[in-house]
Amino acid sequence: MTTAGWVFLLLSWGMILSLLSFCYGRILRGKKSNDDDIAKYYDQ
Amino acid sequence: MEKARQRWGTRVGVILAVAGSAVGLGNFLRFPVQAAKNGGGAFMIPYLVALVLIGIPLVWVEWTAGRFGGGYGHTSAPGIFQSMWKRNRVVKYLGIFGIFGPFLIYMYYVYIESWCLAYAYYSLTGQLASITSSGGFIDFLSGYQGVTDAGVFSGTLPGFVFFLITFVLNMSVTYFGIKGGIEKLCNIALPLLFFFGIVLAVRVITLFAPDPLHPDWSSINGLGFLWNPDFSALKSAKVWLAAAGQIFFTLSVGMGVILTYSSYLRKKDDVALSGLAAASTNEFAEVIIGGSLVIPAAFIFFGPQEIVTVAESGAFNLGFVTMPQIFNQIPVGALFGFIWFFMLFLAGITSSISIAQPSVAFLEDELKIKRQSAVKIFGVAAFLLCQPAIWFLHRGVLADLDFWGANFIIVLGATIEIVLLAWIFGIDKAWQELHLGAELKVPRIFRFIIKYITPTCLLAILVWWFATDWWKTITMQGVDSVNIPYILGTRLLLLAFLVALAILVRVAWRRRKTIEALEEDEL
Repeated sequence: MTTAGWVFLLLSWGMILSLLSFCYGRILRGKKSNDDDIAKYYDQ
Repeated sequence: MEKARQRWGTRVGVILAVAGSAVGLGNFLRFPVQAAKNGGGAFMIPYLVALVLIGIPLVWVEWTAGRFGGGYGHTSAPGIFQSMWKRNRVVKYLGIFGIFGPFLIYMYYVYIESWCLAYAYYSLTGQLASITSSGGFIDFLSGYQGVTDAGVFSGTLPGFVFFLITFVLNMSVTYFGIKGGIEKLCNIALPLLFFFGIVLAVRVITLFAPDPLHPDWSSINGLGFLWNPDFSALKSAKVWLAAAGQIFFTLSVGMGVILTYSSYLRKKDDVALSGLAAASTNEFAEVIIGGSLVIPAAFIFFGPQEIVTVAESGAFNLGFVTMPQIFNQIPVGALFGFIWFFMLFLAGITSSISIAQPSVAFLEDELKIKRQSAVKIFGVAAFLLCQPAIWFLHRGVLADLDFWGANFIIVLGATIEIVLLAWIFGIDKAWQELHLGAELKVPRIFRFIIKYITPTCLLAILVWWFATDWWKTITMQGVDSVNIPYILGTRLLLLAFLVALAILVRVAWRRRKTIEALEEDEL
């Protein structure tokens, strides 16, 4: 495995793991959806 | 009186169901082969570009369109498309592809899924462990498929029995509906699949270099075979197309499944973050787990010379011929063999139940048939239409179905969807709809990508296909003349099915109109 190989592996894995933890972190924190936005949408 | 609509039980449930639909056999067998053949680590550049420019935008488009259509009581593509372009009388017919495409894939996918169940069983019973050569595994597979009579199996019957078991399991899950069947299965199967995948990946990586005669045949160098970049590959259009194709294939976009799944969401349920979470779950399974299994394992046991031949032998050979040979050479190989094939089976069943749902949803919500009856009707039709792939596998029927279902129709379907949402429905309304109840503010650049870049990429792929392959495919050039009647027969069957679907759509809308007229009269 070359250094460039390691760089590509770590970057790709890093990106995917970051995205995964970002998404599930937010989901687990359970931010509620914005009801005001929905109300505004139907008022239009 | 309107009957109560089906809904998802939990937020994580719908994400796991969509991820379960996306995580399939391709994640573990197709991705590593594509990467190894198309520039190794450098393949990840077009792959990630395609993910951002095609994959994720389409995921958002489908989640958004599906939830919007669901708000009008539609759960399959014809109705969802109609709800986005109400005045057009033809658009609902374009939605037929959102039922036809997944059904077509179902016609062979369940059969392949049943091979995984059978091989998991044969791993446990020790039948695979008793095979000692590569040729023996090839004979075992072709004997199991009924393609050759190599003395291992007597015809297609054992394969048909496993198909029946798999088919009944699929139908049972679909029978219990969205919350009671699909969501329950995915809540168990997906975590189990990831657990098995991680166990196998750790086993492969910790094999290091088991052969003292070949200390360079190590798991780390096996990872190198997949990840060492070959930048010259980036100059090839074929590599970019392969990356775009892989993204399509892996995310289950363009086939109408996400449209149907997201139609069961409530109006204020988030789609932006959920869509991204499902896509990233799939990427974890594909790049991290899938990339750490087949290629490194094959490299350790076959070395740098033979691995090229192994990688080019195709996904089925890798999964059903190469991998069992490897398991035969490691301690407790029967158990790891079982884990491998059962993991593939779980990946398969969470995908096949999703491709059944658009058809069932159409029968249930557009033709107003009770769910249990809708599942029975679908079951009979699917069972009959699965037969060509089983009995005429060696006549190239399965490969032809795979081309139309998993390559052509999904690109066509995705192009229709995105043009409809971004251009007809309008990008402003689509953007607003995407952000309704959203727990994630999508970067504004994606407005531009969804409106211009993604449709351009999709049209370019379609034009490229028409320019290079269209005539060859239609006229079956290069197909053995003995196989032509079988493939032609299957294509005519599919055409008849397509026409039948168009008639059913017409019937459904006429019936809907009559009911609406009667309700108006009553008022």
